Amino acid sequence: MSEAVLAMVDVQAGYGGGLVLQGLDLQIDKGTITCIVGPNGAGKSTVFRVISGLIKPKSGTVTFLGKDITGQSPSTVLRAGVAQVPQNRALFPEMTVHENVLLGGYAIRRDRALLKQRMAMVEEMVPLVRERAKEHAGNLSGGQRRMVEIGRALMLNPSLVLMDEPSLGLDPKSVAKVASLIREMAASGRTVLMVEQNVRLGMNLATHGVVMEQGQVRLTGDADGIADNPEVATMYLGKARED
Amino acid sequence: MEIVQILAFGILMGGVYALLSSGVTLIFGVLDVVNVAQGSFLVFSALLTWQIWDLTGIEPLLLIPVMGALMAFFGWIIYRGLVKRVVPQGPGMTVLLMFGVAIAMEGILNIAFGNKFKSVTPPYFTQSLQIGELVLPYPQLISGVMAAIVLVGLFFYLKLSWAGRALRASAQNKDGAALVGISSIKASSLAFAIGAMTAGVGGVLLIIMYPIYPATQYDWIAKLLGIIVLGGMGSIPGAVIASMILGISEAFAQAYIPQWSAAIFFGVILVVLLFRPEGLLGEKTREDVTT
Amino acid sequence: MSALKRPANVVGAVLILLLFLYPLVGSDTRYFESVLIVCMLYAIMASGWNIISGLAGYVSLGHSVYLYIGMYTGAILGKMWGVPPMYLMVLGGVVAAAIAVVVGFITLRTRSHSFVIITIAVLLLFMTVAQNWKSLTGGTDGFIVKQPEWNKDNPTTPYYYTFLGLMVLTVALVAFIMRSRLGAGLVAIRNDEGKAASIGVNTTLYKVTAYALSAVPFGFAGAVYAQYLGFVTPTTALAILMSVFLVLAALVGGRGTLWGPVIGGFLVWGANEASTVLAGEFSARLLIMGVILILTVMFMPAGLLPTISRFVHRRKSQGSAVAFIDQASIAQTSDVAIDSIVARTGQSTDPAVPELEVKGIVKRFGGVTAVDGVSMTVERGSITGLIGPNGSGKTTLFNCMTGTFQPDEGAVILNGEDITRQKVWTRAHEGLGRTFQITRLFKSMTVLDNLVAPLEKTSVRELVAGRYSGEEVDRAREVLDFMGLAQFEGQEAAALSFGQQKLVELAQVLMLRPSIILLDEPASGINPTLIEKLASVIRRLNDAGTTVLIVEHNIPLVLSLCDRVHVLAEGQVLISGTPDEIRNDPQVIEAYLGPDHMLEVNDV
Repeated sequence: MSEAVLAMVDVQAGYGGGLVLQGLDLQIDKGTITCIVGPNGAGKSTVFRVISGLIKPKSGTVTFLGKDITGQSPSTVLRAGVAQVPQNRALFPEMTVHENVLLGGYAIRRDRALLKQRMAMVEEMVPLVRERAKEHAGNLSGGQRRMVEIGRALMLNPSLVLMDEPSLGLDPKSVAKVASLIREMAASGRTVLMVEQNVRLGMNLATHGVVMEQGQVRLTGDADGIADNPEVATMYLGKARED
Repeated sequence: MEIVQILAFGILMGGVYALLSSGVTLIFGVLDVVNVAQGSFLVFSALLTWQIWDLTGIEPLLLIPVMGALMAFFGWIIYRGLVKRVVPQGPGMTVLLMFGVAIAMEGILNIAFGNKFKSVTPPYFTQSLQIGELVLPYPQLISGVMAAIVLVGLFFYLKLSWAGRALRASAQNKDGAALVGISSIKASSLAFAIGAMTAGVGGVLLIIMYPIYPATQYDWIAKLLGIIVLGGMGSIPGAVIASMILGISEAFAQAYIPQWSAAIFFGVILVVLLFRPEGLLGEKTREDVTT
Repeated sequence: MSALKRPANVVGAVLILLLFLYPLVGSDTRYFESVLIVCMLYAIMASGWNIISGLAGYVSLGHSVYLYIGMYTGAILGKMWGVPPMYLMVLGGVVAAAIAVVVGFITLRTRSHSFVIITIAVLLLFMTVAQNWKSLTGGTDGFIVKQPEWNKDNPTTPYYYTFLGLMVLTVALVAFIMRSRLGAGLVAIRNDEGKAASIGVNTTLYKVTAYALSAVPFGFAGAVYAQYLGFVTPTTALAILMSVFLVLAALVGGRGTLWGPVIGGFLVWGANEASTVLAGEFSARLLIMGVILILTVMFMPAGLLPTISRFVHRRKSQGSAVAFIDQASIAQTSDVAIDSIVARTGQSTDPAVPELEVKGIVKRFGGVTAVDGVSMTVERGSITGLIGPNGSGKTTLFNCMTGTFQPDEGAVILNGEDITRQKVWTRAHEGLGRTFQITRLFKSMTVLDNLVAPLEKTSVRELVAGRYSGEEVDRAREVLDFMGLAQFEGQEAAALSFGQQKLVELAQVLMLRPSIILLDEPASGINPTLIEKLASVIRRLNDAGTTVLIVEHNIPLVLSLCDRVHVLAEGQVLISGTPDEIRNDPQVIEAYLGPDHMLEVNDV
């Protein structure tokens, strides 16, 4: 039996006066890798912002591990076990890799033993962290940075990891490395929710797919099913034939 | 040996400048605010030191930790009470606010201490240390050394403590810091407190060396601003280097062409800004005006 | 603000009248005259400051330097030529303006924290030079000024009326600027400098001009003030305080308004004087002024006049609340002949030459090559589409065309002319107009103001002419009519819906009479009805001869609208062709859905 880690029910949210999410329903089960795809403006990033607490939804609920986290502050959500790897530069360029990852444990900094343990775990999962420990984060390549960001996110042992366009700007080799790490995270019981521009890649990597359009979920299902679904192509490119 | 003498003097003063400017730099790095009231914090600490010394005759160096702590608290209050509210309005308004603080403080200090020079004269005030042909006046020597000690302490604090890490993280990437749970308000408060602390320590060091009165703050606004701009608005190493440049060039200018020392410093600053608007070690910000 | 314009003018006129009458009517006026003289000095300084810092938004905290420049100019030249400084006030203004041009040109190139700090640094540098150049300025001892004969008994009244005259002139100058195109451009710059550049405002020229003009009143007043005081001394503390107080005056009264700085000048110096009299010492005065500054910045940064104005507005317009204007209320596109709107004179119309061409564009950001050698053309009179998935480089390419980015390699050619190194506003003058994906209108201005802001060329007339003069207003109204937006003419731009803003932005671009319009994701964020309207507007413009380039994610729109489509992927041109060719090309579908890296790289 699969348990729902995250459930969003009829969420309406947006910026200023407008609504981006227009009644969104979403359920993510434990241990899955779910990939959200959809054309620009569909509201994919907004979903993340609502989950992580950056935006308060106008209506609807967000439940995480049974607890209602609708509209909670980002630090509360972080402590509850949701970590985020954002699209853009999130590292501290003048700090070493080691220090960057260490800062991921800021919330648990007082527990030295735990901190050490987590650091060891992250080094295990992301060997790069140990290999390049003393290098300045600013000198790393895009792919390497992404790996360090993921490592940093793992310091709080999150149950849910949100990844915003993990393959963006990466060369194929780095994409493969990131993909393999994502699979490892899921294998160890974590749930991964990602947004991907690259539909094919996303569905190949994920176990489940969610297709959004205009602020709502249009399709959900197994990743394979989504990948082969001709409707998806239509959604991106519009009707194949005009009348 | 005269050159070595002047150089030594310049380095000692440079050390004191470095301590003071690092406080302003830290505040700028974390908050994007230029604390033009640092001069008034300095004078506040100096005059308070004088008052205590005048009443109790206590060795002024013992007041370093006291003043440091007091000013840190003061800085924290100023941030929480005033600065926090104004920062969203932009850099121009915030600098204006700090001017308001500086002027108000000068007024208070004038009322409390009058408009006269105050000087602290501990027993070693007129004595010097002699190393071979080098004559180093004790006040300058002690100030330079103490400043270096506090600076080194600050350096290690920023490097090794969690609070220090949080500050550096906030300065390097505000969004990233928020992502790992660092509260930007807490970081800003701490930065302001530390910045004011450097003024607290600096005030004690200063009044041992020179007589101070409330309007002295303007000389300091000028110097600190110059150092920050030259060294790069957010870079502590840059500020230290610029401080050394100021200290040494001031010492030489004082010896040979006293009246032009300050003008040269500002001239250099403007020329540097012409070619490197971000200062010597500062970071380039956005790409273009018309983006 | 326009509701208060009349009352404020009345108040201002009354103030001037009272000031004029006071010495004639009052008895034993000497003390108050001397106080009012400094009040007027602050009114003059705050008003001058307002030009660069209130209108244009570039806050200067070292502006008193120009007063000192005026003082020294008058004093030094006066001594050299045996003339009392006051008679040299015009020269004071000229020298101040000249120095301001140099300083402005150097410092106004970048927009950052630097400007505020640099203005302070310039002040400090000047004071230091003045203190040390003994032979010229007398150094810290000061410079005794040559006085005219009639000054023997130290009368205040002549100076009083001179300052009053200068104050009236300064207010007139500011009023003139506010009503002119220069003023409109400055407000545009304050709202959104990048956008102002894209509609043809030569931002460097405007800013330097404003900065120079702001120094002129200071220069004039300085020469007079030097004579009034009888001497000039460079005291750094005083210079800084003066700079801060004049800004406080403008703030308290309301920067950006006409009479705010004037009233603020009287309030601030009045408070200063009052606290000297009541509290006695210099020190209490400083405390009081410092506290006033803190409180003003924290609680009333907009100033007195705007706060009063808002209060009055709220009272008046209760009940007629501005509703979030319904999109459906946009009128149908009128049948107005738009040829007159879009016709561009003196344009070469050789159909063989493409309207816009890029050759070998390469653009890198850090380690990423966003655009990797792209060459393509936009044919004259076409509607061309530029599409591609995220990360394909189409937005970067677009920005290279508009001048927002400088390409690392390659050239951008408009109508046969290489414009690669041209500034953004020059491109606008050459006939290249662009819209923004997220609309950038000048929020604080009305729709009509937004429409008359674009400039087809830079010229003296463009600076000096009134905002609403000339044929621009009529044309603006025609364009609004054409777009079906006539009813929104007087609305504040910020009150419009996103879709309406998009249409207004397009209308703005039309004011440039562009030969080519570059549309940046015009359909994003708006509903299908509005998309349809937009499409019909684009078709009509194209029929009238305007070339259009659209960057879009909405593929159906692109395929239905465009004559030709270029598809970008991974920084290069994937394929170009007609909509039909593109629609069915498997490569395009592949590009959008994403290359399947997973099949290429083996992982266990």
